[in-house]
Amino acid sequence: MNVGVAHSEVNPNTRVMNSRGMWLTYALGVGLLHIVLLSIPFFSVPVAWTLTNIIHNLGMYVFLHAVKGTPFETPDQGKARLLTHWEQLDYGVQFTSSRKFFTISPIILVLQIVPTSFSLYMNVLSPTHLPPGQALLSCFSQYFIHV
Amino acid sequence: MKEGRKEVPRLRMATATEQWVLVEMVQAVYEAPAYHLILEGILILWIIRLLFSKTYKLQERSDLTLKEKEELIEEWQPEPLVPPVSKDHPALNYNIISGPPSHNIVVNGKKCINFASFNFLGLLDNPRVKAAALASLKKYGVGTCGPRGFYGTFDVHLDLEDRLAQFMKTEEAIIYSYGFATIASAIPAYSKRGDIVFVDRAACFAIQKGLQASRSDIKIFNHNDMADLERLLKEQEIEDQKNPRKARVTRRFIVVEGLYMNTGTICPLPELVKLKYKYKARIFLEESLSFGVLGKHGRGLTEHYGINIDDIDLISANMENSLASIGGFCCGRSFVIDHQRLSGQGYCFSASLPPLLAAAAIEGLNIMEENPGIFAELKEKCRQIHKALQGISGLKVVGESLSPAFHLQLEESTGSREKDVNLLQKIVNLCMSRGIALTQARYLDKEEKWLPPPSIRVVVTVEQTEEELEKAASTIKAVAQEVLL
Repeated sequence: MNVGVAHSEVNPNTRVMNSRGMWLTYALGVGLLHIVLLSIPFFSVPVAWTLTNIIHNLGMYVFLHAVKGTPFETPDQGKARLLTHWEQLDYGVQFTSSRKFFTISPIILVLQIVPTSFSLYMNVLSPTHLPPGQALLSCFSQYFIHV
Repeated sequence: MKEGRKEVPRLRMATATEQWVLVEMVQAVYEAPAYHLILEGILILWIIRLLFSKTYKLQERSDLTLKEKEELIEEWQPEPLVPPVSKDHPALNYNIISGPPSHNIVVNGKKCINFASFNFLGLLDNPRVKAAALASLKKYGVGTCGPRGFYGTFDVHLDLEDRLAQFMKTEEAIIYSYGFATIASAIPAYSKRGDIVFVDRAACFAIQKGLQASRSDIKIFNHNDMADLERLLKEQEIEDQKNPRKARVTRRFIVVEGLYMNTGTICPLPELVKLKYKYKARIFLEESLSFGVLGKHGRGLTEHYGINIDDIDLISANMENSLASIGGFCCGRSFVIDHQRLSGQGYCFSASLPPLLAAAAIEGLNIMEENPGIFAELKEKCRQIHKALQGISGLKVVGESLSPAFHLQLEESTGSREKDVNLLQKIVNLCMSRGIALTQARYLDKEEKWLPPPSIRVVVTVEQTEEELEKAASTIKAVAQEVLL
């Protein structure tokens, strides 16, 4: 089911995380959070990273594991009333792609794998000759180097 | 690897074209403390494990071996497609009625006085009602061919809803196209899994199906026993105090009928309203038999007792009894009724009421509003026949004196339900041969939760004269004497 289209899904919560573009939106949202935190002048970069992690994990905990039921009425007389969103995902099937994605995303965030691989690519694999369009992106990569 | 755990000495602000050296990265790895590297290594390994783990469902599957499957298939005996039924099953021996089931009914070719149809106000054969239905038939055709949300809403539907709301003095009313589906859709629209419904033991089949569809917790209290209900409510209160968070999200409902179809008794509404406010439950009142019967103007049980109608959260009735139309309605506050426009399954997913029946119901309401005297007349006739039928040998009258639909049960059961049913059927047949059309109260024996004892249901209508009532009483008495003694 894709969000915003007509569907016959009894409980849309089960399928929303599989919708088209949901993972990208999630990743971009986390990225936006990080950039906002980086823009606050008195947070240094490690503090901004720590805060990103904390806020992301808290948000994930509250929305996926603390709040129970659905925000809308479902035609199955409230079968999912006592289930958290995580338990509702994919009707309880374990280790589906969405579940793996959401399990791995906090780990990636804490290991800062994305910026590492990004700066690795930028600096090690194509070190000197940067194409013009990527010069702008490389301005950001300086923030990721703080050893 | 990237955090400056040491002080900042190597914070290099690189320029736009970076010359970041691979060697520095490797050096950073050497200088990082061991626990850090180990932790990160574990996390990376865990990512790899998660990426490659298989998807599985939570339910355990007990896979049978091939041999066990064969054994099960061998053992299985198929049930017959058509179960054996005795030849004198009532569904196979039905009476054929020619003409309308009005005051004089022609059953199997014999003219009888109708004491079986729920035509309390005689509106079934009323010429004004028929004229209104015919005019509507010429204007709109027969059916609506669509549910309310899909080109099935006509102005007569909206008119009827307005008229019913005005008549019952509530804010809004909603129409269903099938009387049984009215309460069976209304209950599951509000009560879901985890909610608690207190219901009377003598609730009719439609209420039972509504409760089953709602998947709520059902607590039954003895028929019209307010002490039993209070006990159940108190127990629930104690449970609630143990877990207040859960109690805050469970809804509690009390479902009662105004005039019970199975027993002909009236529910004690004033005490119920007191219990409602004491224990914070909501009342659903099913007024199928009491609408157009009780109260000075026929507004039902609330008028009969003089209770403010806003105290009752939902009143549901079907228009198939007093109003002599088809379908049903629910009325109450706008806030409550509006919810059913999207959640009432019978409203959203069934074709709407044919406009000619809606017009007939409107005309029926007009007649009810113009002659409020018929209700007192009906009550008088009920009282008369109740008195006349007391003291029949072998049969006892079950029902209140102002109930127009009451039951005659055997005083002493023979022990088997089948024999009782046959005995009562003999009485009914004999009465019919003498010109009084009666019927037994029929139930789906296997489906009813609390099966009432077999009985003959006698219905009093406004059209029956006093002589006819006397004749009926004496005929029943005589027949009972013959059959039971």
